[in-house]
Amino acid sequence: MATSDADDSLYPIAVLIDELRNEDVQLRLNSIKKLGTIALALGVERTRTELIPFLTDTIYDEDEVLLALAEQLGSFTPLVGGPEHVHCLLPPLESLATVEETVVRDKAVDSLRIIADQHSQSDLENYFVPLVKRLAGGDWFTSRTSACGLFSVCYKRVSTNVKAELRQNFRSLCADDTPMVRRAAAGKLGEFAKVVESDYLKSDLIQLFNMLAQDEQDSVRLLAVEASVSIASLLPSEDTEQLVMPTLRQAAEDKSWRVRYMVADKFTELQSAVGPEITKNDLVPAFQSLLKDCEAEVRAASAHKVKDFCQALSPDVREQIIMNNMLPCVKDLVADANQHVKSALASVIMGLSPILGKENTIEHLLPLFLTQLKDECPEVRLNIISNLDCVNEVIGIKQLSQSLLPAIVELAEDTKWRVRLAIIEYMPLLAGQLGVEFFDEKLNSLCMTWLVDHVYAIREAATLNLKKLVEKFGKDWAQQTVIPKVLQMSRDQNYLHRMTCLFCINLLAEPLGQDLTTRLMLPTIITMGSDPVANVRFNVAKTLQKLAPHLDQSSIQTQVKPLLEKLKADGDMDVQYYALEALEGLK
Amino acid sequence: MEKTKAFNVKDADEWIKHLQQCRPLPEEQVRVMCEKAKEILIDESNVQAVQCPVTICGDIHGQFYDLLELFKIGGELPNTNYLFLGDYVDRGYHSVETVSLLVALKVRYRDRITLLRGNHECRMSSQVYGFYDECLVKYGSPNVWKYFTDLFDYFPLTAIVNDSIFCLHGGLSPSIDTLDHIRVLDRIQEIPHDGPISDLLWSDPEDREGWSVSPRGAGYNFGEDVSMAFNHSNSLSVIARAHQMVMEGFNWCHAGHVLTVFSAPNYCYRCGNLGALMEVDDVGSTRFSQYDHAPSQGRISITKSVPDYFL
Repeated sequence: MATSDADDSLYPIAVLIDELRNEDVQLRLNSIKKLGTIALALGVERTRTELIPFLTDTIYDEDEVLLALAEQLGSFTPLVGGPEHVHCLLPPLESLATVEETVVRDKAVDSLRIIADQHSQSDLENYFVPLVKRLAGGDWFTSRTSACGLFSVCYKRVSTNVKAELRQNFRSLCADDTPMVRRAAAGKLGEFAKVVESDYLKSDLIQLFNMLAQDEQDSVRLLAVEASVSIASLLPSEDTEQLVMPTLRQAAEDKSWRVRYMVADKFTELQSAVGPEITKNDLVPAFQSLLKDCEAEVRAASAHKVKDFCQALSPDVREQIIMNNMLPCVKDLVADANQHVKSALASVIMGLSPILGKENTIEHLLPLFLTQLKDECPEVRLNIISNLDCVNEVIGIKQLSQSLLPAIVELAEDTKWRVRLAIIEYMPLLAGQLGVEFFDEKLNSLCMTWLVDHVYAIREAATLNLKKLVEKFGKDWAQQTVIPKVLQMSRDQNYLHRMTCLFCINLLAEPLGQDLTTRLMLPTIITMGSDPVANVRFNVAKTLQKLAPHLDQSSIQTQVKPLLEKLKADGDMDVQYYALEALEGLK
Repeated sequence: MEKTKAFNVKDADEWIKHLQQCRPLPEEQVRVMCEKAKEILIDESNVQAVQCPVTICGDIHGQFYDLLELFKIGGELPNTNYLFLGDYVDRGYHSVETVSLLVALKVRYRDRITLLRGNHECRMSSQVYGFYDECLVKYGSPNVWKYFTDLFDYFPLTAIVNDSIFCLHGGLSPSIDTLDHIRVLDRIQEIPHDGPISDLLWSDPEDREGWSVSPRGAGYNFGEDVSMAFNHSNSLSVIARAHQMVMEGFNWCHAGHVLTVFSAPNYCYRCGNLGALMEVDDVGSTRFSQYDHAPSQGRISITKSVPDYFL
């Protein structure tokens, strides 16, 4: 490469051109990613007159490089001299918006959308709009697809005549022969609707919406459903009822499950877009039929929305609709054949409790919770357990313990360890609400059993749980109920359980404080320093290091240090290592 | 010597932390790690003596997240001692990360973990069943595959726990009667097509008595009489091996003389089997833990968006 001293300012672009032609994609990519720096070095004038034309001419590269280029150009406005020159970025982006690779095209459109705003009104009409028209009239579907995303960003700021042309162009795209283009148009219909004047919305766009919603391709129809959310939110209620609802009602019963799935997926957004009156008359029956859909995916998607839908119903009819229309469907879903459906319901069903209040929860919801708590699918059980807290608040702990506690206790011994884990994580909350006496009576022994579970993750969670319980119930309680059992584990014949004893001590030292730790725990730790199993011995070293801040100086000097010195000379290299580390830590 | 040791401990801690997130190590570090592992493994015996307590595990086959699940069940290293019976690579999506993590753990905690050789720890198998291709995709060159397959030659063939549980990947060999026969083998080589080394890594127990030809094309099938005689003459209580998928994760056969342990749950992500591990405690008594495959990242498995291929 030529690096003549004569013109140093040429150096950056020379590097760029050089590397842009390098065989190694990575080098080309790096050079594209440094485009901003290079433009800065060149200055705005030469960036406009040399760099941008060069880039426009050289769009032939790997998709990765093009993607990086498309992205860079979106933030290039200051580098070409600000808004008055921004239109010079249009040619390279126009080319990028027509390439075959979707990701590159989409990125080019993103960048075009960013810089559209930076055009003055006249530049918008002179440069940007013609670009949109060229893309919209392109021979290949790629450019027409890209065009769809550009209408909403320029429409608002152009003259009435140009607006009419843009609407005409958009209309043609909606009727394009290629489904990909219609899909893109349907996808952008919603945002276009937001910028179009309300007269044209009613006269033009609704027509387009209804056309796309009847498209022969279900992939187009389902995108029209998405657009209906924006359109409905723009129209007054009576217009929505007249112009949008007939089509939406059809969509909810579309022969393609993917369209119905989309309706289910967007249901709560639709609900807030159409308002309470239409919800009551139209959406409630539609929701019921989606909850009973023959496709499991649709049922699952709508089951996910049960709580949000119910919560957003207008207060005067909420309870009545839930009780009469929703609960029967929910009851069916509890017994659904598909586990995803049941699991989706289980993740939200508890949320109905605060909406319905105590009486209804006890009478109608508790039986459903109980059924799901005993469901054969662990995911369903898990979802119920993880949301129990919102029921506590509604029906009170007493009622909860009477009706759900037996099931919870049963799940505490579930064969799936993740279910047991969820129960353990629920314990501190339950403990706080049950109070110490009730807890000791019903749940304490469970908490102790988990400490010797076969699964390490459960033992680990159980030790953490113990710490939280001690923080809640205090030192005296710990001394009476917890510590003896923990220390007992130091004599277990399985090294894994002896180590659990040490892990507990690690966590309990803080809530127990210096006195109790030194008096009750330290002797046990010291004894375990001569355990026959090396793993226990190096955990003694680790424990002593961690506990040091919670021990008094004299014990450290008389007991801890001598033991660590002994372990430093242990026959096992891991024991040596951790003993040495602990001694270092004590210094 | 002391200086290099200290350097490696810190390094290995970093490797382990990195690998636990299922991220491959840089190529150069794999090379350094494999060299260090060779230094350690060359000192191990063909019949490596392992003291209880120890947790024994079977095939992993690149199922990285299931290996993490296994550690959740059995406990983390170095707190729990482990003995793996081979087949760390091939078939699963994460052979690179799986074998890297296990070797890193070996380098860091040589006395806490024992890694035996499986029939997939060789150049031949791993070139066909995925490890080679995975290295190529993840590193852009076969160098890492070469570092590991060179290292595999050093893995011990068998282990004996408490002088009574004989552990190996496959099974017995007609050319081996006693453990001493194994001790004198020169193992530092590619697994041969036939002969004792190949048999130990390829053979399977079978209902039929005596020796018979294996449908696998390597190793033999051996009957209950063979296992019984071998255990008797070597004062063994049981042969613990892996190599075959079993639905419950572990399986006793040959009237309790042979145990199969398999630790890749939902093998190949579709078999629906449980994984298992066997914990041998301080006094030599055993207990099995079975486990499901790790939940997929992100709990809901329903298609949230409509895939593009419907178009």
